[in-house]
Amino acid sequence: MNAPAWPKLSCVAELAALRERLRQEQPVAKEGQVSQILVCFGGSCLSSGAKEVRDALRQALDREGLGERVALVETGCMGPCVVGPVVLVGEDRTFYQGVKPEDAAEIVASHIRGGRKVERLMLKDASGKTPAPCRQDLDFFKRQTQVVLRNCGWIDPERIGDTIARDGYAALAKVLTEMTPAAVIDEMKTSGLRGRGGAGFPTWLKWQLASESHADVRYVLCNADEGDPGAYMDRSVLEGDPHSVIEGMAIAAYAVGAQQGYVYVRAEYPLAVERLSVAIAQARACGLLGANIFGTPYSFDLEIRMGSGAFVCGEETALIASIEGKRGEPRPRPPFPAQKGLWGKPTVLNNVETYANVPAILLNGGAWYESMGTAKSKGTKVFALAGAVRNTGLVEVPVGTPLGEVVYDIGGGIRNNRHFKAAQIGGPSGGCIPREHLNVPLDYEPLAELGAIMGSGGLIVMDEDTCMVDVARFFIEFVQEESCGKCVPCRVGTRRMLEILERICAGKGEMADIDRLVELGQFIKSASLCGLGQTAPNPVLSTIRHFRNEYEEHIRDRHCAAGVCAELVRAPCLSACPVGVDVPGFVSLVGEKRYAEALRLHREKNPFASVCARVCFHTCEDKCRRASLDEPVSIRGVKRFMVDQEVTIQVPEVRENAANAARKIAVIGAGPAGLSCAYFLARMGYKPDVFEAEARPGGMLVQAIPAYRLPREELAREVRMIEHLGVNLETDRALGRDFTLTGLHDKGYEAVFLAVGAPLGVPLDVPGAGAQGVTEAMHFLRQYNIRGSVPVGKRVAVIGGGNAAIDAARTAIRLGAESVTVLYRRTREEMPAYAEEIEEALQEGVALRTLVHPEAFDVKNGRVTGIRCRAMKLGEFDRSGRRRPEDVAESAGEVLPVDQVIVAIGQALDAKALGGDVELERTAKGWVKADPRTGATSLPWLYAGGDAVSGPSSVAEAIAAGERTAVAIDAKLTGSGHAFWRGYHDAGASFDPNADPVAYARERLQTISLEKRRQNFTEVEQPWNEGTAVRQAKRCLRCDYGKQPCAHAGTED
Amino acid sequence: MLNITINSQKIQVQEGSTVLQAARQIGVTVPTLCNLEKREAIGACRVCLVEVEGARTLQAACSTPVHEGMVVLTHSAKARAARRQVVEMLLSEHDGDCPTCDRSGDCELRALAEEMGVARVPFSGLRAKRHTDDSTPALVRDNAKCIKCRRCVSVCGEVQGVGALFPQGRGFQTVIGPAFTRDLEGVACVQCGQCAAICPVGAIVEKSCIPEVWKAIENPHLHVVVQTAPAIRAALGECFGYAPGTRVTGKMAAALRRLGFDGVFDTNFTADLTILEEGTELLTRLKKALVDKQPVALPMFTSCSPGWINFAEYYFPQFLPNISTCKSPQQMFGAVAKTYYAQKIGRKPEEIVVVSVMPCTAKKFEAQRPEMNASGVRDVDYVLTTRELARMIKEAGIDFRSLPDEQMDAPLGISSGAADIFANTGGVMEAALRTAYEIVTGRELPAANLHVSAIAGLGGVKEAALTITGTKPEWSFLEGVELKVAVSHGLGNTRRLLEHIKANGSPYHFIEVMTCPGGCIGGGGQPRFTDDAVRLLRISAIYDEDESKKMRKSHENPDVQKLYKEFLGAPLGEKSHHLLHTRYAGKAK
Repeated sequence: MNAPAWPKLSCVAELAALRERLRQEQPVAKEGQVSQILVCFGGSCLSSGAKEVRDALRQALDREGLGERVALVETGCMGPCVVGPVVLVGEDRTFYQGVKPEDAAEIVASHIRGGRKVERLMLKDASGKTPAPCRQDLDFFKRQTQVVLRNCGWIDPERIGDTIARDGYAALAKVLTEMTPAAVIDEMKTSGLRGRGGAGFPTWLKWQLASESHADVRYVLCNADEGDPGAYMDRSVLEGDPHSVIEGMAIAAYAVGAQQGYVYVRAEYPLAVERLSVAIAQARACGLLGANIFGTPYSFDLEIRMGSGAFVCGEETALIASIEGKRGEPRPRPPFPAQKGLWGKPTVLNNVETYANVPAILLNGGAWYESMGTAKSKGTKVFALAGAVRNTGLVEVPVGTPLGEVVYDIGGGIRNNRHFKAAQIGGPSGGCIPREHLNVPLDYEPLAELGAIMGSGGLIVMDEDTCMVDVARFFIEFVQEESCGKCVPCRVGTRRMLEILERICAGKGEMADIDRLVELGQFIKSASLCGLGQTAPNPVLSTIRHFRNEYEEHIRDRHCAAGVCAELVRAPCLSACPVGVDVPGFVSLVGEKRYAEALRLHREKNPFASVCARVCFHTCEDKCRRASLDEPVSIRGVKRFMVDQEVTIQVPEVRENAANAARKIAVIGAGPAGLSCAYFLARMGYKPDVFEAEARPGGMLVQAIPAYRLPREELAREVRMIEHLGVNLETDRALGRDFTLTGLHDKGYEAVFLAVGAPLGVPLDVPGAGAQGVTEAMHFLRQYNIRGSVPVGKRVAVIGGGNAAIDAARTAIRLGAESVTVLYRRTREEMPAYAEEIEEALQEGVALRTLVHPEAFDVKNGRVTGIRCRAMKLGEFDRSGRRRPEDVAESAGEVLPVDQVIVAIGQALDAKALGGDVELERTAKGWVKADPRTGATSLPWLYAGGDAVSGPSSVAEAIAAGERTAVAIDAKLTGSGHAFWRGYHDAGASFDPNADPVAYARERLQTISLEKRRQNFTEVEQPWNEGTAVRQAKRCLRCDYGKQPCAHAGTED
Repeated sequence: MLNITINSQKIQVQEGSTVLQAARQIGVTVPTLCNLEKREAIGACRVCLVEVEGARTLQAACSTPVHEGMVVLTHSAKARAARRQVVEMLLSEHDGDCPTCDRSGDCELRALAEEMGVARVPFSGLRAKRHTDDSTPALVRDNAKCIKCRRCVSVCGEVQGVGALFPQGRGFQTVIGPAFTRDLEGVACVQCGQCAAICPVGAIVEKSCIPEVWKAIENPHLHVVVQTAPAIRAALGECFGYAPGTRVTGKMAAALRRLGFDGVFDTNFTADLTILEEGTELLTRLKKALVDKQPVALPMFTSCSPGWINFAEYYFPQFLPNISTCKSPQQMFGAVAKTYYAQKIGRKPEEIVVVSVMPCTAKKFEAQRPEMNASGVRDVDYVLTTRELARMIKEAGIDFRSLPDEQMDAPLGISSGAADIFANTGGVMEAALRTAYEIVTGRELPAANLHVSAIAGLGGVKEAALTITGTKPEWSFLEGVELKVAVSHGLGNTRRLLEHIKANGSPYHFIEVMTCPGGCIGGGGQPRFTDDAVRLLRISAIYDEDESKKMRKSHENPDVQKLYKEFLGAPLGEKSHHLLHTRYAGKAK
């Protein structure tokens, strides 16, 4: 297509006339007809094939004879880059994503000719269900406010006419003919625009200072040296709407009295350079650049200078040096560029985004712009949303929009059902914001308070698969490579920080390294020459501030929970398991049908193989790398098959030790924590005594978890196995009733492990809570599971969203309740109960009502008859990173008729049972305070672990706590370590690293039919047959192959 | 004037001053490393960090301008800690093996570490990568020792206008060196050694020839003579604890004798010889121009400074015909020693070893120029810098300070005061004028105490004019001629002067160029650290030396007269031409 020759505009009236003409020439759609197709020609869509799509669309249109009627426009970036190539069709902007050339014919035939939209190409909303047909209906766009991006995605950036039709250069016309330079600066002051390059310096003030500097010549510069990894808003503006930058610069030049400008673009942005060059040429042709613009005495021209991609050239003095042809390096300020800049002349330097705002401000007025944003920062800011969110791309929101809204409402939340862990904001100079601060307004000062910066607007969202130490290492490596090497703190200091971080990531760190990093970081921040060095330590300092525990884990436990740091991770599943079970080992052995060996390997680290095969939360599967190929290995399914092959109990290695056997150790509580502790003590030759308050051992495993999930015999078998090892188990022996802690100590117990769990339910404090028929879940479950019977109503409501709530609901259904409704105040996504349990419960007929809150219980004759419910909505994010439920003020109360209410809103320590004889330190939340690594309490002989310390947690966590305490007790009593199982053992499974992964798909465990579940407690899940199990086991990719990680801290060696 | 507070002391300072200058004004020392006098502060090393009230970060005193009401703490806990950390960082990067380092005695980094009480380097890790560049005869660079303070960059680029050294690479991989990380030989380095003189550590040093000199002295078959340049006597004492500007001519002669040199001579002798040759050459060129009306290259430039010769060959080859064809005094000495002197003592040239002691590293290069073998063998065998000589004296266990004052040997050790002032900027010009004026007019140069004050001192380019009257008949063509001369020192100044001449033509007849700021007294081989204060003291010591002599004009030197009578014939005669003159060729950059 030949570019039209653009007319020279010698006065403002001619611009207005041209604008009018262009608007009238625009195709107007008749009823039900399509007149325009927009194809995104942003960098991302181009790389995914937008050009081919455009060609195919043109051919299809021509074939259908629609070439004349339908305009095909190549626009700049539309924003949602992850779903490109993107095509918008028609006046309602039907949004087609991931369009391929072969879709063109269908779009033209069906949509344009036939008026039927092509549903399969439409973007789905965040839930992935409803197609959201039009751009304006998409959450991604709906919640944005586009000022900077006002033209991006709407115009063909290579046709100045498109810009002019959308008010391009109208602001310049107004400024040149109606305003004095001082008035322009005043308007900018009113707008409150702050520099969008990162530091947020008031734009008007910069202009004012430059205009006041005494000089004959002044310059305006545009910083388009966007270098933050993952940030590309400036590139998109230059590619999608270059004229807004040219116009903004021309206005700035008029305001400060400059006649020459330069745009400093990195050479890595060839498309931006090309489109900007075209735009400059067209602007010159139209007389919008050059001498006597609009016939006024004012002249301004613009040139492009290309930089070769040095990150530091984003620093203004370095950028200026680079334009001058010198090495791009910062120099001390003052003098500031506004006083002494390019070639020693006063210079205004703003970035692309800042300039793109300027025409809109001058056209709509500073007050309009000022009405958006926060008290201190006005207007909008573009963010490059990247990382673990569903919708990545460019988003523009008012300054001060909470981070959580961008992540969830625009970004669509975290991909793959992961959880938000942190957002890295501001690029390599920025910091990481943890989930406790999802409400932080995206604004200069609040971000700085949390150790991040606004920067140029890079926003990388991270889920729990991200290791924060590794993130810090990555960014510091980047800045240390990009440091100009001029000043010592930045050149040497960042290198030293990197070396320390590399050490930590390799498991060779020491605790003092954390303080060393902080000290170094603060030194570099305060001592460096330029902004690069002064912010370089931010990613490290902010991750230490918000994720110090991860650093400590890397150093102390040589453990990378995210499974990222290669030298600390044998396999990600193994790292993810709290107990450290050799997952690839036992899975592979099952694949070779070596079941007994597999089980023994499992029990090296975890006595409760059979229990965990049924109730484990399987964090291992969440980290399974097979997921990147298809789906995770069904590790629990393999385990289930494995434990079912056990005929005679597989007793693990025990190292008899007469000296240890003579020592007296007591364990209080026969739950998973206490029994595991006893198990590992016994394997080291001790003969501990375990005291259990209830009649049956197992703690929560037996009291709370129903038999249809964990058959009683399975638990009993593993308890017996533990007893076989020399553990003395005494039931019906309750702390506080039958003995005291000091009493045990006085009797000669050298160490006591307190693992009493969190057996009490937390009552709901609403009117009527004391009525008959109101019970709490722990009590309800325990009564049925231990005593064998519990009263159950006909219409049962369970209040709460955790596992106890679901267990109580499913138990109630089995015991004959006609209806069971679970009431939860947030949404299903936020429920802490395991997703598969919720699914099973719903299948069994449990009803789920979310976003409701019980205000009061109706009581008649002392019995509960109904629950007054209030509707809730999700509000701000709380410290757990979930949205806090809030009352819907206008909602009318609703009454749910019930005859039984089971409250499951939390668990607590039975503080009374602890007895008053020892002063036990407690945490703020009331749990027993103990060293998370050793279980040590404030008393030298007393240890604590499990739910009593952590609050309600998983079985695996409890087992891990028991193991850790056993090791700590042994170390304390003997002064040496006997924990032989902690060393590296080769499972001895074979593996061919050259073979392709097997192609079998993941399979779920079978469940018994719904009819069979009614009125009984038969185990719901059924194991696979051998063939399936072996095939499933072979799906393991053996990430551990050839890797021998550095030894676990505390290993016997 | 601005009112500021430094360490709770309220003071008034000039607007436009830096915090560093303000602190110095009240006697507060803030340590510096990258900062150089008269050069724009670059704020790179951060050793001068101070706390400024209200500032977000610590400020580099060298580059922070004062402002009204400023409150500065130069040694607050924060400032001291940061400065110490900076030095710790440098020590962790710097691959310094102090005991074996050329600079272990006067290393500025080591001194800073001591001042700041750095007890140990708290960081281990990657160090700067070693690359030893010993490609030139003059200098050795070691990147592993370089702390990237960029003083050499600033001196080479701004003071000398050469720009052979600059920063390359990024981050920790940044290196300072010639373009494309080549060696010095591969670029247009003039080997002046100003970089070596300014380097705070041992990253750039002269290439030593001490072992070769010892070997020659210890060889009984060789006759080893030494010549010392005029600038040495005003600086060598600094290596032995004397204040800058102390003249140690007599002790130096004694020390050289005790080192075992067979003849202790003086480059001053050939400086006088140079004046006769060069003066005659100038008059000859003027005659050609004024009387014979022949095309002749004017202005004439001096040729004593080998860095300048290199500079002209690299950057201004069009001016090569203008440079006097006289060899430098060092090379004239070598040629005379291995011919005239050799005959006198009855030795073959190859049995004589000529060692020079020079304030200069480029002299090492000059001695090795292929054409410098007029005697049939290498005219000058080894060149020591002032610093190297001091080291030899120390190594030999000579207690320099208690040495008696001794005289140089005859015949090559006798010289005039005019020869002494060769060491100073403007000195060669002044010496030439003293002789030329007297030759032309028969009268003494009409200047107070024979000093042409207009061309003395540290001004960048200086000029003077002298109207010649009362000429002898054979010089009558100069009657009434206003002789215009210019003096430039520091190649940066020289570059500006030459560019100006290139563009506008030259009003001058004769131009003296010295490579180093201040002349040879500020040479690249002189004791460290040379700043303007030290330069002025050395300059004045040299003038004192001149004034202390009875014989103050080169043509009065009796041994030089004898040399002409017995051996050379007349200035610019055939023998002179062969032994004492040379020619130049442009070099590719």
